[in-house]
Amino acid sequence: MSLAARSSLLLLVFSAGVFVANAQDKQNNRFLSNDACKTCHPIIWSRFYKNPHFKSMASGKEPPERTGCQGCHGPGGKHVDNGGGAETIQAFTTLPAERVLDACLRCHSQTLSRANIRSSQHTLNGVACTSCHSIHGAQSVRALLKKPQTALCEGCHTDVRAQFAMPFKHRVEEGVISCSDCHNPHGSFAPTWRMASRPRHTEQAMANEEPCLKCHADKRGPFIFEHLGVRVDGCETCHAPHGSSNSRLLRRPVVFTLCLECHNGGGNFGRRGIGIPTQTPNHNMADPRYQNCTACHVRIHGSNADSNFLR
Amino acid sequence: MRLTIFLFLIANAASAQVPVAPSPDPAGERTGDNVHNYNIVDSFETGYRFSSVGGSDAQYRSSVNYGDGVRLLGSSLIVTSKNGHGLLFDQIILSTQGLGNDPYQSVVMRVEKNRIYSYDMSWRRNDYFNPGLATGGGEGQHLLDTQNRMQDHNLTLLPQSNLKFFLGYSDSSQSGPAYSSIQQFDATGNIFPLFSNVRRVWREYRLGNEFQIFGIRVNWTHGWQNFKDDTGATLAASGVPGATPIAPQSAVSLKSFQASDPNHGTNPYWRAAIFTDRKLFHMNGRFTYSGGQHAFVTDESAQGIASSLSRVQNVVTLGDAQRPVATGNLNVNFTPTSKLTIANSTSVYNVRTLGNSFFSEFDSATQATTVLFYNYLGIRTIANDTNLNYQLSPLVGFMAAYHYSDRLISTQNQFSFAGTTSSSPAQQSNQLHSGEAGVRFTPWKPLSVLLSAEFGTNSHPFTPLADGDYHALTARVQYRAKTFHLVATANANYNANSVSLTSYGSQSRTYSVSGNWTLRSQFTVDAGFNRAHTYTIGGIAYFVDPQLIQGQSSIYLSNINSIYAGVRYEVVKRIDLYAGYTRVQDLGDGRASAAVGIGSAPSPFQAVQTFPVAFQSPLARLSVKINNRLRWNAGYQYYGYRANFESLLGYRANTGYTSLSFSF
Repeated sequence: MSLAARSSLLLLVFSAGVFVANAQDKQNNRFLSNDACKTCHPIIWSRFYKNPHFKSMASGKEPPERTGCQGCHGPGGKHVDNGGGAETIQAFTTLPAERVLDACLRCHSQTLSRANIRSSQHTLNGVACTSCHSIHGAQSVRALLKKPQTALCEGCHTDVRAQFAMPFKHRVEEGVISCSDCHNPHGSFAPTWRMASRPRHTEQAMANEEPCLKCHADKRGPFIFEHLGVRVDGCETCHAPHGSSNSRLLRRPVVFTLCLECHNGGGNFGRRGIGIPTQTPNHNMADPRYQNCTACHVRIHGSNADSNFLR
Repeated sequence: MRLTIFLFLIANAASAQVPVAPSPDPAGERTGDNVHNYNIVDSFETGYRFSSVGGSDAQYRSSVNYGDGVRLLGSSLIVTSKNGHGLLFDQIILSTQGLGNDPYQSVVMRVEKNRIYSYDMSWRRNDYFNPGLATGGGEGQHLLDTQNRMQDHNLTLLPQSNLKFFLGYSDSSQSGPAYSSIQQFDATGNIFPLFSNVRRVWREYRLGNEFQIFGIRVNWTHGWQNFKDDTGATLAASGVPGATPIAPQSAVSLKSFQASDPNHGTNPYWRAAIFTDRKLFHMNGRFTYSGGQHAFVTDESAQGIASSLSRVQNVVTLGDAQRPVATGNLNVNFTPTSKLTIANSTSVYNVRTLGNSFFSEFDSATQATTVLFYNYLGIRTIANDTNLNYQLSPLVGFMAAYHYSDRLISTQNQFSFAGTTSSSPAQQSNQLHSGEAGVRFTPWKPLSVLLSAEFGTNSHPFTPLADGDYHALTARVQYRAKTFHLVATANANYNANSVSLTSYGSQSRTYSVSGNWTLRSQFTVDAGFNRAHTYTIGGIAYFVDPQLIQGQSSIYLSNINSIYAGVRYEVVKRIDLYAGYTRVQDLGDGRASAAVGIGSAPSPFQAVQTFPVAFQSPLARLSVKINNRLRWNAGYQYYGYRANFESLLGYRANTGYTSLSFSF
């Protein structure tokens, strides 16, 4: 037999070997009936009807690769043949973050609230679905969260947790507001009301407005006389949204300091680029009554009747 | 089961510093009871909450606000169909908190039938009390004692199909008494307190649909928002605290005052979004348009004496305002290799606020004045953000980003008075460039380290407080193992807006570390420390009798330290004990009294540039499982607030509760 013929035969045998090996691997990794799982995982199986993922099983029409245990964990044939083992099945505890995301998004990409999950800061920094969600050991039935939402977010965002411990804060710890009222942990569209790309993960009100306006609708306007600083740079110019040691979540302990730091007439700030107007001379700042700006400028967020926000 | 217990303990520890009640431990078995084709898991906790406040009750109500009385502190009900083929529903999830009369109440419910519908509802009530703003030695106005009620209803039809329909309704209201103020009869006149009955209602109706075409999902929503503010104002009755003029200066007295300024508006909007998730790329876009408009009338009448002369002033203002807003977002995410991700985001924002306000005033001193104002404010922003992520190896990853924003602000203030029209158009453009770079290390699976830095420059900030030349540095270390979790972060933000005549600069640094540790299932400890340092300096100009003072600086310095710690211990199998402590302290700039300023701060600013406070709250809770369906709880929580320079604002509150948790 010539060298070429022997080489061809060897290549043929090798290819056949590879083909058979692949076929055997596929045969080993076949999808089984999901009933096969309950033999070794009876507790998970017996409670699975409470899990939102049971919905697809309930119809009884979906093939095993699209529903139940193997819908997420992949084919179970090899796992059964080997008597178990995390290495023989898609075990989420061993998967890298991007593989976890891919697995979950096979079904969960079809929701607008998760449209930005691949470019979200959480995803880009290795926070995968299973960092927050637990399919089989969830504390929260609604979203299968590992912990109550507030505890979950504060577990990593420790500086924010400290802000909610301030004497004046949004009532998140008290349970009447949750982080997801203002933020979308799955990533959000870029905020457009400010110049920079922050804040991130902020869930916007209807027309890309600040989320503050979802609840504080009386500040939305439109007003004939808008307080330009509020409309241009947003609520955070004056307020610290999570919590503050100052009343009304203000960034300064008293109002007039906050006002005068902008209304100083200097620089190229303001709508004309010649500085934001100062007070008029009758404002004697040595007199305490003029130190309380909002006692007269009562409609400081915007007014329909007075350009100085007096009514 | 052990995993469930473990997670439950961690959860309770991590949410340590929430109010002492309701108790986190429900009664009854977590597996629930089977009734026909359904499984039911339920628990409710009812008991008595008490509070005793010494010091400033107003300040307590502003920051804590728990009172006395019998409460349904919390409840939970989960009904689940065992085969997913329930007649009318397959799952009901209902939870409540604080019902009865707590200041923070909520009800959250979900009802769903597989493939047919999913209904989500939430109802919340938040009692909001604010005694007014404090000034250096003065008292504030705008006292509010209102209730905010919010409810949301969302119904999704065919939730698991490719063709879904959405219906929604939201309602938000604010009501209750309030104090406000008004100055009469001119800019040098006295300030008088006003009483008002706040009545604001906001309602939203939504209709939407989602479908898939050519592999792209399309989602659209049409909404209608209606807003009504029918708050009126009357002069505070004689004898009511604060009814006399605030800091009277001139010989002005007010005999009667009444104002009514109904303000009704509507904000119809459209939102459309497309999104798709493919192997190599992910793309989505969102487009919104809203056409907000408000119509308003102000009718105000005042009668009194100024400079020994009787004075009558009537003001009528009416008009309307419109604010059409159009926005667009387009995000594209490429993943050419498993190691590289390139994300690009473009957004456009265009808002125009315009309208007119007809102002008519009759004043017995100045006779009639009529002015017609037209105002216009337009903001157009275009932004683009590009972000690259490269995972070099499982150990190291890099990121880099560039952001660009271009903003154009156009304003026009125009008014017509006595046949003369005056106009003052202005325009300002601004560009922001920022770059960001970072590196991630994962030297060991439980350990991750993140370092990043962002530098930005803004060509024309709108206000001195806005970002000018800024940079932000971030470092984060996280260790997450099964029984031990530790996070440490450090953030530094610097911003400088230096121009001639005035300048503003700020720096803030935040350091925090927190962790929790579970030593067997009986003992969990959770603790953290945070330090936030803020230093700002801003140029100010103001008048003092009536000299213009310039070249002064307003310096604000805050050093806030906060700590928390919580320990949960299962004394014996039926008895759980929890103890926790939180303390927040702003050390200010270190001065011991308000009178001594820092640097060269001018006199009016000395007392107010720092506001040292201490706020602490220790708590303890005992929970005893009496049997499988009954648990007894008792807890105590102390709140202490001390404002160093405003002793009247301090309070000490002893609060607590005792309750029974049932399952049936």
